[in-house]
Formats: sequence, C-alpha cells, structure tokens
Amino acid sequence: MSALAGTLMNSSADLVTRVCQGDSDAFRLIFERYSRPVISFIYDMVGDRALAEELTQETFVRAFRAIHTMRAETKLSTWLFGIARNVARESLRARARANSHVDLADKSVMDLSDNKPEPVDGLLSKELNELIRRSLAALDEDKRLVFTLKVLHQCSYEEIAMITGFSLAKLKTDLHRARAEMRKRISAYAGVGYEV
Amino acid sequence: MKSEELSKLLEEYLDSELETAEQELFARYDRELEVPPFLWTRVAAHTVAENNKPKLKGWSAIFAQPLARVIAVLLLAIAVGIVYVISRQPEPNKTVAGSNKPGPTQPKISEPEPEQKKTEFVASQAKPKHRVRRTTNRTPADQSDVWSSDLAYLDIDEQDTARHIEQTQNLLRSIRNVPTTDSDEEIDVSYDKQLSRRLLNENVVLRRDAEMKAKFPTKTLLTDLEPFLIDIANLPDRARPEDVRAIKERVQKTEIVAALLDYQNPGTINR
Repeated sequence: MSALAGTLMNSSADLVTRVCQGDSDAFRLIFERYSRPVISFIYDMVGDRALAEELTQETFVRAFRAIHTMRAETKLSTWLFGIARNVARESLRARARANSHVDLADKSVMDLSDNKPEPVDGLLSKELNELIRRSLAALDEDKRLVFTLKVLHQCSYEEIAMITGFSLAKLKTDLHRARAEMRKRISAYAGVGYEV
Repeated sequence: MKSEELSKLLEEYLDSELETAEQELFARYDRELEVPPFLWTRVAAHTVAENNKPKLKGWSAIFAQPLARVIAVLLLAIAVGIVYVISRQPEPNKTVAGSNKPGPTQPKISEPEPEQKKTEFVASQAKPKHRVRRTTNRTPADQSDVWSSDLAYLDIDEQDTARHIEQTQNLLRSIRNVPTTDSDEEIDVSYDKQLSRRLLNENVVLRRDAEMKAKFPTKTLLTDLEPFLIDIANLPDRARPEDVRAIKERVQKTEIVAALLDYQNPGTINR
C-alpha cells in the first residue's frame, strides 16, 4: 500500500507540481528518470558523446526554467524530448560539421576491427553499433529525428508529432524514407535475412 | 486485379517482417552511453542559481523582457514626439476685431494704442476640437486695452470670472429693485446677504488672480465691485430701508450694473 502511495506521489505530474512548488528533490527524481533516454536521444541526433552530455545538461536546465509553463495535459517525457530536440537542433546548426555525412563508400566502417581475437558476437555488435551511429548521422536532420524517435525510442506518432511539430503525413513519409536509407546502409553488413 | 492485391499484401507482409527484423536489430543498438554522475551536479548548480535569482514581479517582470523594454522605449518616444508636435503647432491667425474701425460701441475706458490693438482682439472663431491652452507671449501691458472680449471665455479662470460677474450683476439688480418705502418696515435681505458673502469671497480670489495675471481691467472691475458686496454682506437679515436705499442709490449712481453688463457683452452699452 505504501509502495503504491509512493508510486502515486512520484508520478510525473506530481513531480512537476512539486518542482513548481520549489521542491528540488522532485527535480532530481525527474532527472534520474529521464536523463538516460534524453542523453541517448541527443546522442542519436548529434553523434558526439561529450556534446550529448553538455546538451543534456542544457536540456534539463531549460526544463527547470520552463517547467511552470508546462501544460497539465502534456506528457513530461514528450515535453522533455521536445526541449532536447530544440537544444540538439540549435547545436547542429551552430557547429560546422565538415564530416557530418558519411559516404556509403567510406571504408572506415570496415576498418573498425583492431585485429584482436574477439568473440564474433562481440565484434559484430561493436561494428553494428558504429554502423548504426554512422548511418544515423548520414540521414538528414528531419529523417534522423523521426527515425530515432520512432524506431530507437518507440514513441507513438502522436508523441513524435508533438515533439517535432511535424504533420502526420510528413512523419510517415520521413519515416518511410529513413527506414529505406537505413536498410540500404545496413543490409550489406547485417547479412542473411536482412535483404529486401 | 488479384495479382495486384496479392502483390500489395505480400509487400505489406514483407514490410512488417522487415520492420520486425529491423526492430530486433536496432534493439541491439548499444550506444555504450552512461549518464555521468557529474551531470546532475552541474544541472543542480544551475537550478540552485536559478532559485537564488531575485524574482521580479508585476511591471518589473514585464519590463525585464527585452521586447517589452523596446516597446516601452518606443511608446515613450512616440509620446514625447506627440507632445513636441503639439507644442510646436502654430497659433491660429488672429483676426483683429474692429481694430480698424473704432465704432461708437467701442469701450471708452483705456483707449488702446494701435499697435496693441492688432495683436489683442481675437474674433470668436470656430474653436478647435482639442482645446490647447494658448501660450502667447503677452506682456502685462498687452491686456491694458482690453475691457472685455471673447478672450474671457478662453480659459477656465476667465469663465469663472464671467460667471461671477453674472451672479454679482443679478445680485445688484435684485438690490436695486427692492422696493423701499418710508415706512419703518424692515426688509428681508437674508438671501441676498448670504449670496453676497459667497460672492465676496469669490471676488477676492478672482481679483487677486486677475492682478497676478496682469488682467488689469478685470481687476479694476472686481475692485469696484467689492464695496457693494461688503455692504450687502454686512446688512442684517432684516435690514432697515434706509440702509438698503443707500446701497441702491450707490448702485444707480456708479452705474456698476452697466459696467458689468458691458464686461459680459462688450460694445452693447452706450454710456
């Protein structure tokens, strides 16, 4: 019973209310609950670990400043992702990225192996992670955003529409194209069962 | 048709299979990313700083916004501009009323000099919608030739004076018309007395005001009025006929009512 009460007390809406009342512990709980998905999302968008940490910090600082403006019907995670998306987009536009696009002919993906005797699964996993990261970076910003939210973070279309402000039609189109591009890049590496 | 439907269904099936496969593949995507412990420390440092900021309330909060500040400055500039434009508006052309033809109805008191005439008499014209107090560079001597004119209605002080003159005139007419016989019956002048007291106070104020503003004709007229008002104010409620008669005779002799009427309607009295 007390556990249930504790859960209810720590619901997102309750945490938001408590933050608005000046409870800094509540904001810490929000941070603990959402920092991981937020940093992952930002990393997916910017592809840089240190920058993702910095932008996550910025996201939560902005969230703290604006939390009293959050509407009651808005889902906290959606709202946070919205801020994170703005922060990431500003960063992407601010910095000049000479190597933002990876050519499909880029052989560096193939040179990931350090020739150490590693288990095949481990090597595959590492190379796959790098491939996904690079393939994501190769998508244009809108497609990367939609693909990340839908495929990597399992957001619903409604949530993505709220986060991005895109129409449903654009979302679906971008997602379809992003999937096609990702498939094209990964299929060569993923091997059997993944050919179209 | 059937082959198209089958093709479509097959495509959907393959897509869904593909999406499932993709999901499995991307589910294995490990960013090898951890939330560093210092991140919360940094965020907390910012939030504490935010909480310690003095919170502005009301107008201060509004004007703290850069846009609001810009708007406020713009509004202020517009207001200053409007005031400047109004203050720079040229005065309407004054027309000389009867300055070239001093007719028989011209007041005889303090005959004006020709140069002053040109600048002082303003004929009544259609007044502007927005009344702007005129700022003319009048010297005290400017008014010396004005016995009465429509200028009296241009500002509030002069309107007050005109109203005062009218009421005093009525009072003096009332006293002048009191029937006085040789009988010893006392006359009830309580109302006139009360009115006179009020008008006396008003008269003192208006006279001083006229003096300060160098409106000498007005000041002279009010000075002339004062003894009458004092005499009436000092009457008992039931005055003796001879006291009332004395005042009446002075009113008639000095033609003060005519002077008042002439002040109100210049040029209508031939004296």
